[in-house]
Amino acid sequence: MKNSQSIFWKYCFLPVSLLISTEVVSQNQPSEKKPEIKELNEVLVNGNVIEKRKKEESLNVEVVNNTFIQRNLGGSLMQSLQRLPGVKTISIGSGGSKPLIRGLSFNQVIVVENGLKHEGQQWGADHGLEIDQYAVNRVEIIKGPSSFIFGSDAVGGAVNIKPLPLPSNNTFGGSVDLVGKSNNAQFGSSFNLFGRNQNWFFDTRVTTMDYGDYRVPTDKVHVYSYSVPLYKNHLRNTAGRELDLHLSTGYSGEHLKSVFYFSNVHTKSGFFANAHGLEPRNVDLDLHDKSSRDILMPYQEVNHFKVSNTTSFQVRNHAFETQIGFQKNFRRECSHYVNHGYMPAIYPENMYAPEDLERQYDKEVWSVSAKDEFAINDHQITIGTNVAAQENAIGGWSFLIPAFSQFNAGLFAYDKIELNEKWLVHGAIRYDFGRIKMKSYFDWFESPVLENNSAQMEYLQRSQDLTKSFDSFTWSAGVNYNPGNLSLKANLGSSFRMPIAKELASNGVNYHYFRFEKGNPNLDAERSYQLDFGMEWKQQNWSFQLTPFLNYFPNFIFLNPTSGHDMYYGAGNQVFEYEQSKVFRYGAELQMRYYFITSLSAEIVAEYLYSEQKSGSKKGYSLPFSPPPSVLFGLNYEPQIRFLKDTYFSVDYRITGKQDNIVPPEKKTEESHVFNLAFGTKVKKGKQDISLSVQVQNLFNTKYLNHTSFYRLIELPEAGRNIIVSMKIPFSVSP
Amino acid sequence: MKNLKYIIGITVLALIASCSSDNSEIDTQYPVIDITGSGSFPIQCSTIERGKTLTFKASFNDNAELGSYSLDIHHNFDHHTHSTEVTTCETEAVKTPVKPMLFINNYTIPNGVKSYEATAQISIPADVDPGDYHFMIRLTDKEGWQTLKGLSIKIL
Repeated sequence: MKNSQSIFWKYCFLPVSLLISTEVVSQNQPSEKKPEIKELNEVLVNGNVIEKRKKEESLNVEVVNNTFIQRNLGGSLMQSLQRLPGVKTISIGSGGSKPLIRGLSFNQVIVVENGLKHEGQQWGADHGLEIDQYAVNRVEIIKGPSSFIFGSDAVGGAVNIKPLPLPSNNTFGGSVDLVGKSNNAQFGSSFNLFGRNQNWFFDTRVTTMDYGDYRVPTDKVHVYSYSVPLYKNHLRNTAGRELDLHLSTGYSGEHLKSVFYFSNVHTKSGFFANAHGLEPRNVDLDLHDKSSRDILMPYQEVNHFKVSNTTSFQVRNHAFETQIGFQKNFRRECSHYVNHGYMPAIYPENMYAPEDLERQYDKEVWSVSAKDEFAINDHQITIGTNVAAQENAIGGWSFLIPAFSQFNAGLFAYDKIELNEKWLVHGAIRYDFGRIKMKSYFDWFESPVLENNSAQMEYLQRSQDLTKSFDSFTWSAGVNYNPGNLSLKANLGSSFRMPIAKELASNGVNYHYFRFEKGNPNLDAERSYQLDFGMEWKQQNWSFQLTPFLNYFPNFIFLNPTSGHDMYYGAGNQVFEYEQSKVFRYGAELQMRYYFITSLSAEIVAEYLYSEQKSGSKKGYSLPFSPPPSVLFGLNYEPQIRFLKDTYFSVDYRITGKQDNIVPPEKKTEESHVFNLAFGTKVKKGKQDISLSVQVQNLFNTKYLNHTSFYRLIELPEAGRNIIVSMKIPFSVSP
Repeated sequence: MKNLKYIIGITVLALIASCSSDNSEIDTQYPVIDITGSGSFPIQCSTIERGKTLTFKASFNDNAELGSYSLDIHHNFDHHTHSTEVTTCETEAVKTPVKPMLFINNYTIPNGVKSYEATAQISIPADVDPGDYHFMIRLTDKEGWQTLKGLSIKIL
């Protein structure tokens, strides 16, 4: 039975894909009809840019803009993007999430904002992405190995948030976004102001969010074997707040463009109070259930500050771009002191850390990059380099990973050859070097160690001074064939990822999952080889896109649950240890849209992923957080109504299959059926359009579990019915 | 004709997407901690006197192969946790620990066994704080599946 899925895949899916593809080729005749032009010029231009981008990239890429985000608005950027095939999230409550691209996440997916690699504490499952989704204009999601562009970490893919478009000449205006959500009683707003004379411009934004505990369609949950009653369906202490500030300003002239970006994203959010610490805990129900809006312990507070400058200029036929950036991620996890191992029962006075400060991570990253793009005959060549240095300090009374410093540098060359109008060939090589220096750490309390049959009290060493260096060559080769309506692409590439401090040197308790995590200093850099295909066909009344892939890791880094327990710091909890294993993965995404009439269309979005460990302790098992197969059926109606513009009504029905391919400590997840409704319109008001959108997520208040949720392991269901109303009111001041 | 092919294609895809197989070759079963046997100790609400030796007894079972287990005794003077059991025990008022008993140990299980009668001796020092305690049993199988049992006990 074990291979039945893969057999099914081989004998059903692939022939079907081929059948469809031959059909596509045989039917390929240039359409004489032009797509209906209804949208604003601006949007149309944007649409063409997206189209062009997809046709010129041999990797599979999804591109969306802020209209998509507003229509599918979730609690955080990745939650708003998870309608895209192959894109899922690991959600941490209602206001945070991290990207999961074709089943890979954490440090295997990188996020780039305004050209700068976003560096937070992405290794932690409880750590959401510190990006303000209102400040996002256009996002590109690369579903595949993109180390050759971005360096280490981009083995699974990249979320590339493009810089905001510059305001037009001689404008001054802005917009106000308002949002409300019923499920977690969220109120939010985002205020934008921009202006430009001939060459100088600025663009600012302030976003605030305030939300209460989110509600689930159950009054009792089971955290492992512990039963926990919920008050009024509220997931205790999952409220949160967010305040984000942005400013971009600079000069744009004919030969020179220089932009400074400043941003500060601040969030504070609670963790589900019954499941944090050494074991599932009893909490003071009177205190916790008094208000659904307060944030009590345990909670996390994160501040992410970024400043960068991007300057581009033209010298003869060379387009240069330089970038300098600094970012600081400061994260605190606060919780009541819980002594474990041989920590004293009462928190000592004169400790180096406050009693409630469980963990603190302080990361500072400096980065510099430069690239040069030029053309020689049919070759469009880019050469570039990037260098980054980071310093990581730790604090708080508990230990998981040591302090460390890290240095990375890379050099790449990329050539895009336009053979003729239809054929594009891509080739890229890259060399990377990285060094990580971890610092030693001793327990602040003594533990009894048995020596010669007598127990000695000792300060145990959790981590040692350790320096590791890695280097790597990666390459990528691809081809695009674009004859008319059809576009085909193929890409073969390698990618790499340097092991991170957590994988090399962690030695402490994960308080969310009650386990002891142990690093492995002998890990090699992770490598990945991936073969990607893409096929797209667009015609006037329908479109089709299929993107299969095959992926092989000779040494995937995997946190293996062992059969052992830790008798010191871990207080008897199970030991999980990092190991490397061969991993084989394959999958595909499919998107189809059919227009019955101009205003009515149906859509199918499906995805499938299979992964298997081919060696190591968990040979035959899958990988953690593997998204189950899913199909989404969508119906979209866009009537022409007088005085209104871009009116839409849509229904989405998502069937998510069950996930039986699990690895300890995961649990099998049942299939789920969820309906979402959405409608929206734009009202003409002077020169501007006020846009309004409404969504009803989980229409039938279905109780279901999401296999890739942070809270899945402790069996917390997903949010119940959620009505989201958002409005965007633009304004402009005539000069 | 062409539409038919697409419809078949989509249907097959939808079928594949919504079906998945049972992976019977890999072990996905948790080990079992059984404390219902006549000699099992401690059980929910058991009591033990200071200065005496507690003899732990429980039966462990697994479908494939047992791994190891750990025992942990820590105070519950702050009522921080409930147990995995249905019945609740009477608790003393919340108090501040002075010298609470703390016990953590790992125990091996012979290789290749599916069931095991676990027993361990734990001496309770005469000078520890009496009161409510938790007795945690954590059992793994070879593949790393873990089962917990959290019992409320009293040291007199």
